[in-house]
Amino acid sequence: MTPRLARTEWRAVGTTCAAAATASPGDGRRAERALTAARVEVEACEAELSRFRAGSDLSHLNASAGEWVAVGPRLLEALRLALRAREETGGAFDPTVLPALVAAGYDRSFEQLAERPAVRAEGWRPGAAIELDEAAGRARLEAGTAVDLGGIGKGYAATRALDAMRDAWPGLPGALVDLGGDLAVRGETPERGPWRIAVADPRRPGTTLGTLLLHGGGVATSGRDVRRFGPGGSLHHLIDPATGEPARPGPLAVTVVAPTVVEAEVHATALAISGAAEAVAHVAAHPRISGLYLPAAGGALPLGEPPLARTRVLVRAA
Amino acid sequence: MTRIWTVVLSVWAMLAIVAVLAWQSRPAPAPAQAAAQTLVVKTVNGKQQLVAVQPGALGAPHATTATSGVVRP
Repeated sequence: MTPRLARTEWRAVGTTCAAAATASPGDGRRAERALTAARVEVEACEAELSRFRAGSDLSHLNASAGEWVAVGPRLLEALRLALRAREETGGAFDPTVLPALVAAGYDRSFEQLAERPAVRAEGWRPGAAIELDEAAGRARLEAGTAVDLGGIGKGYAATRALDAMRDAWPGLPGALVDLGGDLAVRGETPERGPWRIAVADPRRPGTTLGTLLLHGGGVATSGRDVRRFGPGGSLHHLIDPATGEPARPGPLAVTVVAPTVVEAEVHATALAISGAAEAVAHVAAHPRISGLYLPAAGGALPLGEPPLARTRVLVRAA
Repeated sequence: MTRIWTVVLSVWAMLAIVAVLAWQSRPAPAPAQAAAQTLVVKTVNGKQQLVAVQPGALGAPHATTATSGVVRP
């Protein structure tokens, strides 16, 4: 009985989502249960973590900055991960860049954005305080600040969705969750090999830069090749916390491989506003991650040792 | 004379049959090798490398990572 990949796709978190499970022909109902669990979990995460949903816990928290607000366990955990990420990246990842992002023009769900000139966020500064009271299930933002969990929220949702699949089917041989290119994988593929993750080449749509081989963990890509807005599409959504404006240095796109998709997403965000030399140094200082950095012009730069499918080096040129 | 012609025709018929059988049982052409993809990478010291990737040995990817696009309603 040859295993196959049972798969479902849906639209959530502003992008296309997919979940897949390795299943033998007799596992149809169990696979179906696991796929449904992934979908339900992603939707539950979006209901708590989305800044675009007026009724979400995050929207309530942002609207009540300066006060303690009761929040759900998902938002509490995501905020804790975001604070840890800010510390680990020395502030290159900062969940409190939202006022700067809104000032730049990304003030509503991307598909509803209107074109208007960017302005600087008055009085905004990076590193605003986020207090968590985990015992009481509440959080408080520094007055005047607001949080965006966009990327890390997707990574967190993908991780939880993968856990939900395993909970729904404890014998699950292997699974993948893909939230718009943020991927979490675990276990075996139907071919009993590693998960094959293509890295899209933003310069040549439809082609890939290479294929990553993963037995578990996460992958995320961040870049300025999509989600452009403002006059003539001149702005992008990657805010540099050091300046409070869309970052100037940085690659067209960067892909990060890490033990978890949350880590991959956090470091991809940090590297997406870094120059090449800075990116190399960043990965050298974080040996758990590796990646592929694609500058606006020139060849792709491997960061660390990404698990690329490769056979041998053909040519070495000066 | 008739016997000679019979032998000649028989030989030609046999050769024709052998040719048809040989054509039918010819070995199938080897499947075309998938063209190796070449990945251009730049090393830390700025030098460029060309790295060969074997797509044929890999199979289709299970998923693709890219900067999250926007799904228009």
